[in-house]
Amino acid sequence: MATETQESAKLAQLAHENPDEIEVAAGREREVLEGWVPDLASEAEVREALEKAFDYRGDVTITRKDGSKVEGYLFDRRSGASLNDSFVRVIPSATREKVNVAYADIAALAFTGRDTAAGKTFEAWVNKYWEKKAAGEKNIQIEPEKLD
Amino acid sequence: MAVPVSQAWTVATYVLKQKLTGRKKYPLVLMLEPLFRCNLACAGCGKIQYPAHILKQDLSPEDCFNAVEECGTPMVAIPGGEPLLHPQMPEIVAGLVARKKYVYMCTNALLLKEKLHLFKPSKYLSFSVHVDGQREHHDFSVCREGGYDIAMEGVRAAVEAGFRVTTNTTLFDGADPNSVRAHFDELMTAGVESMMVSPGYTYDKAPDQKHFLGRARSKKLFRSILSNRKKTWRFNASPIFMEFLMGKKDLKCTPWGMPTFSIFGWQKPCYLLQDGYADSFKELMETTEWSNYGTESGNPQCANCMVHSGYEASGVNYTFGSLKGLMQTAKAIFFSKYEDDGAMKLLNEWKPAHSAPLVQIASPTAAEKSSELQGV
Ligand code: SF4
Repeated sequence: MATETQESAKLAQLAHENPDEIEVAAGREREVLEGWVPDLASEAEVREALEKAFDYRGDVTITRKDGSKVEGYLFDRRSGASLNDSFVRVIPSATREKVNVAYADIAALAFTGRDTAAGKTFEAWVNKYWEKKAAGEKNIQIEPEKLD
Repeated sequence: MAVPVSQAWTVATYVLKQKLTGRKKYPLVLMLEPLFRCNLACAGCGKIQYPAHILKQDLSPEDCFNAVEECGTPMVAIPGGEPLLHPQMPEIVAGLVARKKYVYMCTNALLLKEKLHLFKPSKYLSFSVHVDGQREHHDFSVCREGGYDIAMEGVRAAVEAGFRVTTNTTLFDGADPNSVRAHFDELMTAGVESMMVSPGYTYDKAPDQKHFLGRARSKKLFRSILSNRKKTWRFNASPIFMEFLMGKKDLKCTPWGMPTFSIFGWQKPCYLLQDGYADSFKELMETTEWSNYGTESGNPQCANCMVHSGYEASGVNYTFGSLKGLMQTAKAIFFSKYEDDGAMKLLNEWKPAHSAPLVQIASPTAAEKSSELQGV
C-alpha cells in the first residue's frame, strides 16, 4: 500500500467528501525520491523506506549486512510481524531471476536509478505541444523512452 | 447481439458452473500482460513507467499458457504495454485460440495493419482497439497527432480481412459526451463488432494527475452518453455494468474478477492497483486481503474507481445471482434504448471543457508555463 504521505491529497479529499459525490478525483503529489538514501535506524524507518522503494518506478540498490549488494527493480514486498519475516523481492538489472532480501538483512538502501515516472507532467506536454504547433511542426507526439 | 452467441453461451455456462459448485470467488477474464513496453506514452497511463531492463522483458508463450491453465477463465484479454511489440504474440494468440479461449488482444493499432497477416481470423479472436474518442480527443489522449488515423486504418484493415474487431474507449475529465456519441457512430460505421467504454483509473504514475473523473462526474457523463442510445450501437459490456456507469445501479467491486498476470507474477489485488504479487493464482486468491479493496473499503486508491476490470464481473454476478438479476439483464438487452429526457437535457447543455483546436486542452497561460523537460 502507498504511504499516508503519498496518499495525502486523496485522504484529504475523502475526509470531506463521499466518494460518490466527488467530481474530480485527487491525483498524487509527486515525492522526489531519486537519489534518496534513507536512514534505517528504527524498524518504522525501515518499513517506511521499503514501502516507498516498492512504490518507486526506478531501480534501487540494497546493501546487505554482509556487504553484498543487489541493484534492481524492487517489485514486491511482504511485510510480516517482524523484520526477520518481512522481505523485499527484486529483479536485478542484469538478470531475470527474482531475488528475496529479508528486511532484517538490509544495512542500506539507495534510490539509485532514475525515477521513470518523474518529470513528465501533462502540463509540460501541453506547453511543449503549443510551442511545436506554433513553430509549424506536424505529427507532434510524446515518444516513449528509448530502451537501448 | 454484442458478442457471438457461442461466446455468450460459453461464459454463461462457465458462470453457472461456478455457482453450482458453490465457488464464491471466481475470475471471469484473465488479464494477461506479456510485456510493459509500448510505442505510445499516453497521459493517463500508469503502466509503462519502469526501468529499461523491465520494459525489455517478455512473458514466454509457455508462461502465458500456464497462467491461462492456472486460472481457467473462458476469456483472456491481452493488454500491456503494446502486445504487438511482443515478438511471439502470434504464437501466444494461436496457442490460446487452440485452447478455445476467447481472446481480446488489446492494441493501440499503430502496428495492426502491418502485422495482420501474422494472425488468422477466428471466432475466438478479437482485436480490441484502443480508441479514446474522435480524432482530436484520441490524439490528445495518446499524446500523438495522427494516432487516430493510423488506429482507424488498422481497424478497417482488420475488419476487411475478416477479423472480429472491438474497441475500447477510456474517458477522462474534459470528455465531451456529444463527441463520444459521434465517436460511437464513427466506430460502428467502420464495421466494429462492438464497443467498450470506461472511465480512466487514477494511476499514481500517470503523467496527467489532474483529469481523473470522480464518481459523481463519471455518472453524469455516462448517463448523458449512454441514455437515449442509438439502435446502431453495440456494446460488449455487461448491461448491468453499463447501468452502474450511468448511476442506475450500485455495484461493489469484484477485484478478483479480472486477475492480472505479468513478468512480476499475479498482481494483488487487480489490474489497476499494485499492492504486491503472488507466485501462483491459488496464492493470489488465498493470501490477498480482499476486504481492503473496493470503494466501500475506504481505501483511497479505490475511492473513485468505476473501471470495468473491477465492476464488469460484478455486473455479470448480478445477472446470474438471482432471477431478478436475469430479468433485469434481459430487459436491458431487449429494451436497451434507455430513454431519458433529463439525460438528453444534460447532453444538449453540456459545455465542452475547452474550445481550443485540440478540444481537451486550452492554450497555456503564463502561470502554467513550466520549464520541465518533456520528451516530445
Ligand atoms: S475498486 Fe478498482 S482499484 Fe480498487 S480493487 Fe476494485 S478494481 Fe481495483
